[in-house]
Amino acid sequence: MFEKLRKIISQAEADYVDIRYEVMTETFLNFMGQDLSRIGTNTTDGYVVRILKNGGFSSIAFTNPKDAQQAVKIALENAVLLARNLSKPIKLAEVPVVKESVILQQQEDPRQIPIEEKLALLDKYNQIPLSHEQIVMTNMGYSDTLRKKYFLNSEGSEIFEEVLTTRIGGLITSKAGNLTQNLRIAAGGSDGFYNVRGLEDMFETRSGIVIDLLQAEPVTGGVYNCILNQSLSGVFAHEAFGHFSEADIIETLPAMREKMQIGAPLGNEVLSITDNATLPHQLGYYKYDDEGVPVRKVELMKKGVLTGRLHSRRTAAEFGEPVSGHCVAEDYKYAPIIRMGTIFIEPGQNSLDDLLQQLGDGLLIIDAKGGQTSGENFTFGAQYGYKVKNGKKAGMIRDINISGNLYKTLKDITAVGNDLTLSKIGGCGKGQTNIRSCHGGPHTLVKNVVIGGV
Amino acid sequence: MQEFIKKALNKCDQAELYNIDSKEINVEFNDGKLHNIESSLQSGYTLRIIKDKLLGFAYTKNLLAPQELIDNAVKSLEGKVKADYSFPATEQLPDLKTYDPDITRVSTAQAVEECARISDLVKRQTKAEIELVSSINMDNINITNSSGTELAQKQSVFSIWMNLCYPGGAAGLSESNFDFNFQPLPDDKLNAIIELYNLSEKPVEPKGEKMQVLFMPRTMYALMWRLRSATNGQSIFKQTSPLLNRIGEQVFSQDLTIFDNPLDDSLPGARSFDDEGVKTAKLEIIKNGVLKNFYYDLEYAAKLKTRSTGHGYKSSMWGGDPSKIKPAPSLSHLTIAPGSTSLQEMIASMEKGIILKGAMGAHSGNIPNGDYSVGVSPGLYVEKGRIIGRVKDAMVAGNIYETLKHVTAIENKLHPSWGGEYPAILCDQVSVSTK
Repeated sequence: MFEKLRKIISQAEADYVDIRYEVMTETFLNFMGQDLSRIGTNTTDGYVVRILKNGGFSSIAFTNPKDAQQAVKIALENAVLLARNLSKPIKLAEVPVVKESVILQQQEDPRQIPIEEKLALLDKYNQIPLSHEQIVMTNMGYSDTLRKKYFLNSEGSEIFEEVLTTRIGGLITSKAGNLTQNLRIAAGGSDGFYNVRGLEDMFETRSGIVIDLLQAEPVTGGVYNCILNQSLSGVFAHEAFGHFSEADIIETLPAMREKMQIGAPLGNEVLSITDNATLPHQLGYYKYDDEGVPVRKVELMKKGVLTGRLHSRRTAAEFGEPVSGHCVAEDYKYAPIIRMGTIFIEPGQNSLDDLLQQLGDGLLIIDAKGGQTSGENFTFGAQYGYKVKNGKKAGMIRDINISGNLYKTLKDITAVGNDLTLSKIGGCGKGQTNIRSCHGGPHTLVKNVVIGGV
Repeated sequence: MQEFIKKALNKCDQAELYNIDSKEINVEFNDGKLHNIESSLQSGYTLRIIKDKLLGFAYTKNLLAPQELIDNAVKSLEGKVKADYSFPATEQLPDLKTYDPDITRVSTAQAVEECARISDLVKRQTKAEIELVSSINMDNINITNSSGTELAQKQSVFSIWMNLCYPGGAAGLSESNFDFNFQPLPDDKLNAIIELYNLSEKPVEPKGEKMQVLFMPRTMYALMWRLRSATNGQSIFKQTSPLLNRIGEQVFSQDLTIFDNPLDDSLPGARSFDDEGVKTAKLEIIKNGVLKNFYYDLEYAAKLKTRSTGHGYKSSMWGGDPSKIKPAPSLSHLTIAPGSTSLQEMIASMEKGIILKGAMGAHSGNIPNGDYSVGVSPGLYVEKGRIIGRVKDAMVAGNIYETLKHVTAIENKLHPSWGGEYPAILCDQVSVSTK
């Protein structure tokens, strides 16, 4: 394969060229209520070429090998056009030449499990919520996605790496009269099929919660002190803070770049945030990014002070900071962009009980239901929660959406728990979807959170 | 294509091959400078087969190994996914304008120059940090099936998207323009966004309460998302729609009329057939506030013993590769009928309220129930008919079946936006929470 790829890029007279060829095999199963709506395994493939010439850097993605020559020509022309219009030539940070084949380590390889067995397992889980009268619908899926990636560049690197992501879960909906409530279920990982086994208790517990939500009280809009559970702390670390640690987001926003300088005291001193995709046995694990750079642990914030950033080769050169190996593509349809790997709030000393005591009166809000950032502002939903009175959990609440400002919230996180948990499935959508985007945190106490209510 | 269908029919009762080829060039301009140029040449094929009323489904990128695609679809029949419908025999479709052949002559350099022109203009008149993306797109969709249907449609789009960021925050005011071919961003759009930016530079912190909210066209998708969910054949079948069994009932203000019109070819994206080859038609969803229709694809029409309304599209909530997606009911050409008030008159009539210029987090919250709770991104605060400044850290929340009963004015103009064409709509008594 590398010979074939070398031949494609040999046509380009440029300062730097790389090519990534990917073969992707996906198995999808899906139930809508009792009806199986989808089943099958399919394989697709494609190429991405990136060219640096005279300081212009451009990329092209293509699927048909017959288009290779035309694709290289387009990317080269666009690199030259860029070079003519840039005020400052683009440089790529220097990285070592790597020749390596990274063999996939799986504990129970999903490829060895017959699709019939996957179907039986999904069906078994799906029957758990459906056995409850008040649960009117499920949308429950299983997928495993294998990416076999061949990366080659004109500096001499040749890397083959496989990543396989297994996930199971979906949405369960309960109904009483005209009121419907829904709740997500999710499990999975990057290191084997064992991640989706033995989930019966989780399905039973979640079924109970979505039924209880029919009786829960809609939260009243206002400003509250809140405890975020691990899932929501992770979403905060990812959505509100993490995206601004991605150098490509702030690269061309001068005022933001000024604010986000390394050494800036942006957060409360209890707050430390790290990205570490090298941790084994977690969703975000990988060895090399899609520029052939080994991923490393990056301490992004330490005791409230900004200490690091996530980079591509392009932004590392632009910022004069070390490469970090965070330039990742969804698949062969895209050139890579900077992505978080496994971002989390570092755990502290407090138990959940300690945090409840410190909170006194407020809300305990649980599990993320989508999040979005627009600049310094963020909004995310919680699946359910509880009122807290005098440090004790009281009535269940629903319809919780929170909104905040990154800088204010970083200061308003006043205590962190000791119970770090990482997410089992991902789905960050920064233009491309990253199903291995992993985030987490311990329970955290946040002051002055705006809650939308309904 | 017919050859391939013939080959597939050796293994099944019915077959359909969907093919999409697309070419795209994106030019990114940030902070007044050219930043990136990316291109993409993609193709994809999806085969659906039906045998003994069961569905087989498979896809590939290139039809280099046709037999493999057929074998994959045949293998998936073992899953026993029900398919109690037939691929349609579709002919005599109206001739729509969807493609301008001159798009092939638009150069990347032209897109770069247009971005530079806009960028310079904005820089001269505001302190905004500007982000711009200009795209040149060409799609070619082909559907062939064993009922004799052979359909093809070419589409071209030249688009410009811009965001004027308030320095230091990266949040901003955005605007976009679409056409079949290269078209400079119209001056009126450009001047309007510059004026709005300058009026809204100052941050203000009003007190949260129930107030008037002017939903701008770009935020209308947040409300329409809930209506799409409630009128989707899938929600009707699942019995999770709050509009179930309510056809003929008044559900919104009588001033609201909402319909889907895939045949409107005044803008790019018109369709005379859906992604299952079913002929499309205008469909009334809400007329004078009264619920008129639900929409279906072949699968959910069959499950509910009705006919497809021509709304089977290979789209998902988060985009994705159409060749990998199974068709599902989708409303992608939604229009809210314009009213009689100008935007200026609407703002002037506001005693106290928020102009919601961007909505954040529209995908969270209880969508099937009609609930929404969005962050303002940004919201412009109005008092006594004048814009005072922009609000940060605020949320606008409600339920569409309440909010859209309290419509007090509808703009007399439509603006193309995500999934449709909408006017601005002013509602009163909407809950706003602030810090």
